[in-house]
Amino acid sequence: MASGIKDRVAVLSMGCSRFGERWDVGQEELMVEAYSEALTRAAIDPALIGAAWYSSHYDDIGAGKAGTPMAQALRLPDIGVTRVENFCAGGTEAFRGAVYAVASGAVDVALAMGVEKLKDTGFAGLPSASRGTFSPMYLPTHTNPGNFSQLAQSYAARHQIARTDLKRAMAHTSVKSHANAVDHPNAHLRKALTIDQVLNAPMVADPLGLFDCCPVSDGAACAIVTTPDIARALGRAPLVTIKAIQLVTSNGWEAQQPDWDGSYFHTARIAAKRAYQEAGISDPRTAIGLAELHDCFSITELVALEDLGLCDEGQAWRHMLDGWFDRDGRMPCQIDGGLKCFGHPVGASGLRMLYECWLQLSGQAGARQLASPHFALAHNLGGGPAQNVCSVALLGTC
Amino acid sequence: MTYISAIGTYLPRLRLSRSAIASAVGWLGGGSGGKGTRSLAFWDEDSITMGVEAARQCLAQGGADQTALRQLVFATTTPVFREPQNASFVHAALRLQADCLTQDAGGTARSGLLALHQALEQASPALVVAADMPVTLAASAAEARSGDGAAAVLVGAGQPLLSYLGGVSMAAPLVDRYQASGHEAGVEWEERWLREEGFMTLMPQAIAAALQRANLSPDAIDCLVMPCPIAGCAPAVLKAAGLAKARLAPTLAQETGDTGSGHALLMLAHALGGMKAGETILLAQLGQGATVLVVQAQEGIADFKTGLAAQLSHGLVEDNYLKLVMFRGQLAWDRGLRGRTAVNEALSTSYRYHEALLGFVGGRCRETGRVQFPPSRLSASGTGFHLDTLDPYPLADAGGKVATFTADRLAFSRHPPNCYGLVDFNGGGRLMMDFTDPDAAGLSGGDDVRFVFRIKDMDERTGYRRYFWKAVSAHPAPPTTSD
Repeated sequence: MASGIKDRVAVLSMGCSRFGERWDVGQEELMVEAYSEALTRAAIDPALIGAAWYSSHYDDIGAGKAGTPMAQALRLPDIGVTRVENFCAGGTEAFRGAVYAVASGAVDVALAMGVEKLKDTGFAGLPSASRGTFSPMYLPTHTNPGNFSQLAQSYAARHQIARTDLKRAMAHTSVKSHANAVDHPNAHLRKALTIDQVLNAPMVADPLGLFDCCPVSDGAACAIVTTPDIARALGRAPLVTIKAIQLVTSNGWEAQQPDWDGSYFHTARIAAKRAYQEAGISDPRTAIGLAELHDCFSITELVALEDLGLCDEGQAWRHMLDGWFDRDGRMPCQIDGGLKCFGHPVGASGLRMLYECWLQLSGQAGARQLASPHFALAHNLGGGPAQNVCSVALLGTC
Repeated sequence: MTYISAIGTYLPRLRLSRSAIASAVGWLGGGSGGKGTRSLAFWDEDSITMGVEAARQCLAQGGADQTALRQLVFATTTPVFREPQNASFVHAALRLQADCLTQDAGGTARSGLLALHQALEQASPALVVAADMPVTLAASAAEARSGDGAAAVLVGAGQPLLSYLGGVSMAAPLVDRYQASGHEAGVEWEERWLREEGFMTLMPQAIAAALQRANLSPDAIDCLVMPCPIAGCAPAVLKAAGLAKARLAPTLAQETGDTGSGHALLMLAHALGGMKAGETILLAQLGQGATVLVVQAQEGIADFKTGLAAQLSHGLVEDNYLKLVMFRGQLAWDRGLRGRTAVNEALSTSYRYHEALLGFVGGRCRETGRVQFPPSRLSASGTGFHLDTLDPYPLADAGGKVATFTADRLAFSRHPPNCYGLVDFNGGGRLMMDFTDPDAAGLSGGDDVRFVFRIKDMDERTGYRRYFWKAVSAHPAPPTTSD
């Protein structure tokens, strides 16, 4: 049994650009925005960075392939830059690479960067991703609202939730995130919404209306990680360490065999169990102080709450309506607005979630600061319910 | 003696009302008086897909050993491709033996009967598939008169349904309509000329010649099956040919319109509904000459069940004329930027996986019994390491149930919303599939589906298109009626 990475790596600092429709900048400037914040907060010489990981999904409209766009944009000190791509979970994947590099002892300091420049496509929503030559010959032309609407229907069917109840719970999920983002200067959507506005929005893929869907955004976020000893020597206190990172990728079972009923994420359940084990958490509901969930759609957040064991199966919709996950609830979720309102620049989202976790754990979240959380969870999902990459990362104070 | 053992037909579900055509283009003289409907192929149907569906129905009638089939002729005046061979797609979709002579026939609406004539005159078992989806000019008489559809006939395999008594094909350069290469639609000449020189002169001569070959007198004929678009003309042919006791098979003009190369066979399938053993039929069609075949109903006719009645009764009346011209690509429309994605032909990929893509053949693991699509070297059984344990497992006729469903308004579709979801195959395995048909959005979880061969996507810039299988309701909604 591997011993895991708990407390073997610390977050030295992080940075995050303003998210949104950034007509003013390209991916290069977005990366610089996030990196300069992180470097300023870290107060280190960039020459200390020994290796870098770079997450970006849409190479055709973004920065291009390989590690060179990042190395050049950030003028990195002649180090290896590894480009990673794992759908919307690429940000956490980059973070994992950097953390593992430090944990292995190969380098003392590593950088993880996620960036996406989406608003050069000319239309709303995500562009279709390249899927090679074979699968487009048989798979439908699909979009994520279409994929996740199937999750909503299957979830409602499995737990016999009335459509009106589910619609209201999904609406509350979005309204809560909008409220959280109103005062966040770097969030993409900073407008409060009412339940009725969400319920009456145009339908995209039944039962998902427009406000059940997150926007797609331009943005970048990054992390500089190091050993706990170095972080302490550089004066970090409280020290925020990585407690666990688990990543599970669908192997075709959900999409090719009829055993899965479509109402949950097979990968998330496994990743969560392993992450809690790695972090030594026995009761996540009491241990975890805040969660940044991959709320690409309102239904995804509800189902993720159950998959991660943060509430009982079939009950998330009810507890959402009860306010458990509001800013002042039992476990605040998407305190920064989440994908729904802070925004969703695909390859950067995982690092944006970790950024908020780090700010909260290190007491730097300003007006959003929660009362002394010890553990924070970031759930990052790429792909659709039937075939995806799911990561669960836990940060904590040490 | 050779014989026909099965007949399958296919009609697309949409029936465009002629009153809708008249409303749209009546001011230009179109719509042909506005009576009845014409069949209209959906955006993802063409002569190949309709031909495949008719052939599947034909082969499903049983009794025939498909491995005995050595010939497949695909007859159409509206081929999808000049090259490659259209018949090769039909052959692959039907999973026929590799040792099979495949051939395209065309050039005239008579091509279906010409191919049948040829098949009946020789010994080896053959499948004749005829399908058409004419592109016609807006407001033309042909637009309202024509329809889309297909028929398929199995010759010389299985039990006799109709025995072949004799026939003739006569050539004549009577060009009543033409479509030159590079021209989108055909040009037609005056009906009265076709009536006098074609139906009233050529056709009776051909009938007489066919009867002579069959060694029959005109009064031995019980039924004349003859597509004829000219009002009142068919009874006159009956009289001119001396077919004293023969009845005329209905033309289906009010239901489907003239479906071109498959129409004589479609009419034949329809006429067989009330046929008795021993009755004799003339199967006749004009088109730069004439073909007349004499066939006689055998004992098997009593059990013959055509799917045509269901196809006729399950039509969905469409009152939007624009669907005809937009499905045919005759009117440019704004697809949005999402509709601009190029189709990556990857012809080598298509060929490498052609059994999966065209034949819809998945795999079944010998060790776990699990079914999967597409096949892979390592079985998708969830656990374990099962290498090269898959046997081919055909899925086209398996049917399945909808596991998850969406009607997606964001994804590009030529008939939004784009409907798709997970389908659980009867017998195991699942696949995210397109749901097609005009009423696809009515499907939901748990519904039974069957699979149809359709256009997967098209690249208008190159004209390339590719095919795959899609799911449709196994129990389509009740038909609508025209106002």
